[in-house]
Amino acid sequence: MSFSPTVLTLVLALCLAGGGTATTAEKKLNVVATFSILGDLTKNVGGNRVEVTTLVGPNGDVHVYEPTPAAAEAVRSADLVVVNGLALEGWMDRLIKNSGFKGPVVVASQGVKPREMAAGELEEGAKHGPLMTDPHAWQDVGNARLYVQNIAKGLEKVDPASASVYRANAEAYTAKLGELDQWVRKEFSGIPRQQRRMITTHDAFGYFGAAYGIAIISPVGFSTESEASAGDIANLIKQIRREKVTAVFMENVSDPRLMEQVAKESGVTLGGTLYSDALSKSDGPASTYLEMFKNNVTLIAGAMWKGI
Amino acid sequence: MASIVIHDLTLGYDGHPAVHHLSGTFESGSMTAVVGPNGSGKSTLLKGIVGILRPFTGRIDLGGLKISRIAYLPQQAEIDRSFPITVRDLVALGLWERIGMFAGMRDELWRKARQALAAVGLEGFEHRPISDLSVGQFQRVLFARLLLQDAPVILLDEPFSAMDNRTTADLLQVVNRWHAENRTIIAALHSHEQVRSYFPRTLLLAREPIGWGDTAEILNPENLQRAQQMSEAWDETAEACPLGEIC
Amino acid sequence: MLSHLWAIFLAPFQDFIFMRHALVACLALALGCGPIGVLLVLRSMSLVGDALSHAVLPGVALGFLVSGLSLYSMTLGGIAAGLAVALLSGAVSRLTLLREDASFAALYLASLALGVLLVSWRGSSLDLVHVLFGTILAVDDAGLVMVASITTATLLILAFIYRPLIVECVDPGFLRSVSGKGALMHLIFLVLVVLNLVAGFQALGTLMAVGMMMLPAVSARFWARQVWSTALAAMVIAMLSGYAGLLLSYHGNLPSGPSIILTAGLCYVFSVVCGAHGSIYSRYRAAQHLTG
Repeated sequence: MSFSPTVLTLVLALCLAGGGTATTAEKKLNVVATFSILGDLTKNVGGNRVEVTTLVGPNGDVHVYEPTPAAAEAVRSADLVVVNGLALEGWMDRLIKNSGFKGPVVVASQGVKPREMAAGELEEGAKHGPLMTDPHAWQDVGNARLYVQNIAKGLEKVDPASASVYRANAEAYTAKLGELDQWVRKEFSGIPRQQRRMITTHDAFGYFGAAYGIAIISPVGFSTESEASAGDIANLIKQIRREKVTAVFMENVSDPRLMEQVAKESGVTLGGTLYSDALSKSDGPASTYLEMFKNNVTLIAGAMWKGI
Repeated sequence: MASIVIHDLTLGYDGHPAVHHLSGTFESGSMTAVVGPNGSGKSTLLKGIVGILRPFTGRIDLGGLKISRIAYLPQQAEIDRSFPITVRDLVALGLWERIGMFAGMRDELWRKARQALAAVGLEGFEHRPISDLSVGQFQRVLFARLLLQDAPVILLDEPFSAMDNRTTADLLQVVNRWHAENRTIIAALHSHEQVRSYFPRTLLLAREPIGWGDTAEILNPENLQRAQQMSEAWDETAEACPLGEIC
Repeated sequence: MLSHLWAIFLAPFQDFIFMRHALVACLALALGCGPIGVLLVLRSMSLVGDALSHAVLPGVALGFLVSGLSLYSMTLGGIAAGLAVALLSGAVSRLTLLREDASFAALYLASLALGVLLVSWRGSSLDLVHVLFGTILAVDDAGLVMVASITTATLLILAFIYRPLIVECVDPGFLRSVSGKGALMHLIFLVLVVLNLVAGFQALGTLMAVGMMMLPAVSARFWARQVWSTALAAMVIAMLSGYAGLLLSYHGNLPSGPSIILTAGLCYVFSVVCGAHGSIYSRYRAAQHLTG
C-alpha cells in the first residue's frame, strides 16, 4: 500500500530540480500595457524578458473600456504599467488607484508634440466642435520611435540588470520603424496632392494625415459615441461626389452599415478595414504594429490610385 | 334540460371551505335566489358553477351543458371602464356564440343589439362610450349583453347592490321575462325583500346549506337565526375534513 | 416661392437614396407600431417596450457571437430573447401569485445583465451595443424588407385577432367564460410586440423603435375615441413625425433618431394641450352646450 520509497525520492528530486531551475532562471518582468498596440511595442522592446498583459485586446475599443476584476489583479501584480497618455485611457487612473498599484507608470507618448482634434470636424478648418487632444499619436511612425524610447527607458529603470538587452531590442526595432516610415513615404509619393484625401469613420488618423500629407475627412457623428445626422451624411455624399474621393474606409469598431450606405450612394467601393485603435487578432491582417501600418497604407494608397 | 345538480360540493380558498358539503338540484327553468350572510359562499358557489373555481370535493353536474352557454354576471366585473369602446360594441359581445372570434356583424345582429338596449331602457345609447355611463346605466348595459347571450342558464352575483330603485325595478322585470322564457336563473342576493317578491325558490347558505326549497318556507326566522350564527372568519385551528364523511 | 418649399420639404428625398430609404422605413415602422402602441397603452403596458429593449440584448449578442453582424441572425436572436422574457413573465404571472409587471421587471433585468455579460465576455467594449442596434440612416435593402414584412404580418394578424384581443383588454372575465383562448390572444399580442420592437431595433435603433411605438400612440388618445380610429391616428402621427424628423435631421444637422422622436414628443405636447378629447384646452374650453 505504501509508495515505494524509491519512487518518492525520485519525485521529490524532480520537484527540487524543477524548483531549482525556476530559481536559477531569470524571473520575467510583469508588464501591463493598456491596449494591443502598446502591448506589441512593449513586447518588441522587452523581448523574452517580459511577460506582457494587454488590457484592451485585439479589436477592442480603448476609449470606452470597462475594467474587469481580472484587469485590476493584473495591474496590482505588475512590475511596470505602460499607458498611452494624451487622455486616451480615461479609465486608467481609477483602475491604478483601485488596484493599489504603486509601481512605475510609463507614459508612452511622453515627448510627443500633441495635435488637437475637434469633436465635430467635417473638413479640416471648416467646422469645429470643442477641441480636445488627439491621443492617436502612434499613427505617425516618428512618434512610435518616441514610444519605443520611453518604453525602453521605463524597462531599464525597473530592471537595470537587463538594460543592455532592452536597449539592443529598442535599437533593432527602431531600425525597423525607420524602414517602415521610408516605405510609407515612398508609397504615397507617387500620388498627386489632390488625390491624397481619405474618408474614414474615426478621427484616429490625424497624426497619420499630418505626417504623410493626407487630408483626413472624418464625417461628423460617425464616431462610436454620437449618432449620425442626415444633414452631415448628405454633405459627405455630396463632397465625395464633388471631390471624387476614392479612398473611403470603415473603422473596425463602428457601424459598418452606415458607411456602406454612404459608399454605395456616392459611387465608391469601400476600401476594406483600417486598423487604428487596436490590432487585429493573430490570424488577422494587422496583428502587430508593423503589420497594421502595412495593411493600412497598402489599402489607402491602393484606393487612392483608383481615382487617378 | 338545463338543470344543475350539485353533489356534496366543497369549494373554497387556501384549503378553507367557503361552501361546505352542499348537495341539491337547481331544476331546469327554476328561479332560485342564493341568500346568506357575508362570506357565506354565495359568490363562491356561482364561481364554482361557471368553472372559475375547482372544488375540493364533490362535483357539479351541468347535464352536458357547455360553460359558454351559461351567462354569468360577476359581482365586480373586471371591465376597464376607461377603454374606448361604445355601448353597442360591448353589448354585441353577447352574440359571441353566433359570431365567435372572427365573423362579422350583420345588420340583423345589430338590430338585435339595439333591441336588447331598448329592453333595458337604454335606447339611443348605442354610440356612447362606456366611460360616459353612470353605474346604473353600466349595469343595464351588462344586462343587455346577458339578454343577447340567450343562455339557458343565467347566474347573477349581487346584480343590484348599489343600484338605484328605478334601475333595480327595471332589471328585475328583465329577470322575470327570462323566467317566463323557462331559463334557469340563479341569483345571489342580499335583499330578502327582493327575494320574497320575485324569487320562488331560495337556497339559504351559511357555508353549509341551511335550507333549499320554496322561498316562503325557507326564509323563516329560525333559519335566518341559524344563518346569522355562522362565523365569517376562517377557523385557523380547523382540522382536516375526512374524505367522504360529513364533518 | 414654390421652388423654395420644394427645396425644403421634398428635395432631400429626391436627391438622396438614403433619405428615401429612411423615409420608407419610417412609414413602414409607423404602420406596424401605431396599432401595437395603442394596444400597449390601452392595456397599461406602456413601459413594456422600453423594458423589452433591454431584454433582447442577450439574444442579439448571441446572434452576433455566432455569425457576426448578420441582420438576420441578430434579429432572430433578439426575437428569441424577447419572446422568452415576455412568455416567461406571462407564465409566471399565470402560475404564481406574482403579477405580470413584477415578473416582467425581474426577468428583463436578469436578461439585460446576461446580455452585458455576453457582450463583455467577447472582449469587445460595451460600444458594441451601438453596433448591435442600427440607425435609420443606415437602413439598407435587407433592413427595409425586414421592417416591411414584419409590418405586413403585424397588420394581418391584428386584423385577424382584433375582436378577441379587444375583449381580452376590456373584459377578460367575459372572454374566459365564452372562449378559452384568452391566454393565446395575450401571447400572440406579445409576440407581435417583440417582433415589431426587434425589427425596429435592428433597422432603426432602440430609441426609434420604442419611441415610434409609444409616443404616437399616447398622442393619438387625444384625437380619437375608438380603438380603430386611435390606431389610425397613431399611424398618421408616427408617419408625420418620421417625415418631419428626417427633415430636421437633414436641414438642422441633428442626429436622426432623436430628431424623429423629438418631433413625436412635440406632437405629444401639442396633443396634451389642444387635442380634440380630454386635453387641457378641451377640458377648460367653455363649450357651447346643446339644449338636450
